[in-house]
Amino acid sequence: MSKVRVEGLTRFKAYEILGPLGVVFVISIGVGLISASLQLAVQFALCNLVMVLALQAFVGNSGVLSFGHASFAMIGAWVSGMSTASERVKGNALALEKLWEPLITWNLNLYTSIFLAMIAGGVVAAIAGAFLMRLNGLAAGIATFAVLGLFYNFFFNNTKIGPGSQALPAVPKFDGVYEPLLLAMIAMILVYGLNVSSIGRKLRATREDLMSAPALGISTQKVRWIAFTLSGTLAGLSGAMYVHVAGTWQVQDYYLVFTFLTLAMLIIGGSASMWGAVAGTLVVTAVGQVLLLWEQGKSILGLRIDLPNGARSMLIAATLVGMLLWRSSGLTQGKEFDPRRKRN
Amino acid sequence: MQAVLDAISLGGTYALAALGLGLVFGVLKLVNFAHAELITIAAYIMVITNDLPLVVSFLIAALSATALAVLTELTVYRRLRGTGPAIMLIASFGLSVGLQKSFELIFGALPRSAAVAPWMTGSIEMANLNITIASLVTVGLTIFILLAMGYLVDYTTLGLQLRAASADFKTARLLGVRSNRLITSSFAISGVLAAFVGFIVVVENPQVEPMFGLNITILALVGIVIGGISSLRGCALGGFIVGFILSVLNTYLGNARVYAYSYLFMAVVIILLVRPGGILSKGNEMERV
Repeated sequence: MSKVRVEGLTRFKAYEILGPLGVVFVISIGVGLISASLQLAVQFALCNLVMVLALQAFVGNSGVLSFGHASFAMIGAWVSGMSTASERVKGNALALEKLWEPLITWNLNLYTSIFLAMIAGGVVAAIAGAFLMRLNGLAAGIATFAVLGLFYNFFFNNTKIGPGSQALPAVPKFDGVYEPLLLAMIAMILVYGLNVSSIGRKLRATREDLMSAPALGISTQKVRWIAFTLSGTLAGLSGAMYVHVAGTWQVQDYYLVFTFLTLAMLIIGGSASMWGAVAGTLVVTAVGQVLLLWEQGKSILGLRIDLPNGARSMLIAATLVGMLLWRSSGLTQGKEFDPRRKRN
Repeated sequence: MQAVLDAISLGGTYALAALGLGLVFGVLKLVNFAHAELITIAAYIMVITNDLPLVVSFLIAALSATALAVLTELTVYRRLRGTGPAIMLIASFGLSVGLQKSFELIFGALPRSAAVAPWMTGSIEMANLNITIASLVTVGLTIFILLAMGYLVDYTTLGLQLRAASADFKTARLLGVRSNRLITSSFAISGVLAAFVGFIVVVENPQVEPMFGLNITILALVGIVIGGISSLRGCALGGFIVGFILSVLNTYLGNARVYAYSYLFMAVVIILLVRPGGILSKGNEMERV
């Protein structure tokens, strides 16, 4: 009898969560200590990791593509950035000339603002999901993209609630890698928790067979909606982290490049597992950093390749395509972290 | 009158872009983001070879776009066949970004411009109305290409094979359709269509930069889904609707026209909720995700 392997885990195993947590912890601290620029790179990578985890929770488990998650990050970042940016700057900055009065005086502390950002991301996702979760395949992808396009167009042109196409400056930054690292590790635990929960299992059942799942009593729309809302909450967290790493909010940061870079990280790592999200983020970030150092004329472990200016982005894209050609089901092939298995 | 003609001509342009995307999607289930770069390369070539006669310049542009389309199929998509739509889509996006950055290295990040077919920017008077030649030519050209494509799809062997393959690729192969040749042909045709789109757009907007084709491709993509991705007619219709709505919104929203995209995307969500399979779909078909 042939064995059918369903991608993604079904039972809780401590090493599956402790392993990835350990890897992320050690790499973040270790690399972050090397230099200030690498510390910043680690901070950005952790923001991306939370976004990729958010995508894994929904896209990986349900098999439905979402191009709309960047809009939840955009909202989360806006909430957290707008409520923590310096009041003086909000009142004086040229880009914020027409800003609505209550927004100028809106002032929260960092952690309250991040919490509120998560709620905002979750609420927007819940509302969008209530309508969109009955769509499948490409129609779902395009409808979620329409949500992103709508928010982008709105924020880009509206100067009453934000800086429009300009940047909102003077957002307080995280101090070091510890805060984003802690948040990312919490996100990993949440996503793993969802994956081993009954909701996660039901969601994967709808991914594997959209016809049979309802016959088992699963409401496809309901389980997708729950996962979409949770995933929107995490996307809101990712946006809030991003705004406190960059120190500025700009709507362009949460659009196409962000959407596809994080989706590419997920697919390259292997979309069916939490470990895939972690591995994809690590590898894609590492490739980007190595190419950056080469572009700056530095050598890595004695190897130095002089890249012309501007070649880096092209090579990153080429590497992404190359990785998909080399291993199309992702680096982890949908498996969770397992120290006992031989690495392949 | 000019507004109506503008709406039709923009709709027509988007319909051509949508047709190119729909053709490839039909046989390969691939959402080809890199279609944008086919449009861009055609526009670049038309600007660079502007000194040559228009027909020659267009032929070179069409050949380049076709060659690039076939090259992407041979080097990337062929190897990814059977891996699933999500992976192919991400690969096509990677390809798209990679090509954009290559254009930046080759042609520079700043826009290249030249007056392509300057006679088209003039206008003529017709029944007391001033109508730009460009919109007339675009409408004429679009109708001609759509009719030609209609003929190709409905009355030629290649068209029959394309329809068969997009209905059921496996069965079509079993019945003797040569899959590699068919897929390569559909990429080639999509390259030619992209060249036409590149030409039409570059006449109106002669500033060609690396992301020149991106916007139109994304909107055409939205178009093929709301029109009905399972048929080429649906794709063309969807593309047309998106272009038409956008043009009408731009005309009538006045100062609020910056929000045209918001209204468009709202309309898209509503259309998809009412008809998830697209406007031309037959009922609510279930699709394995």
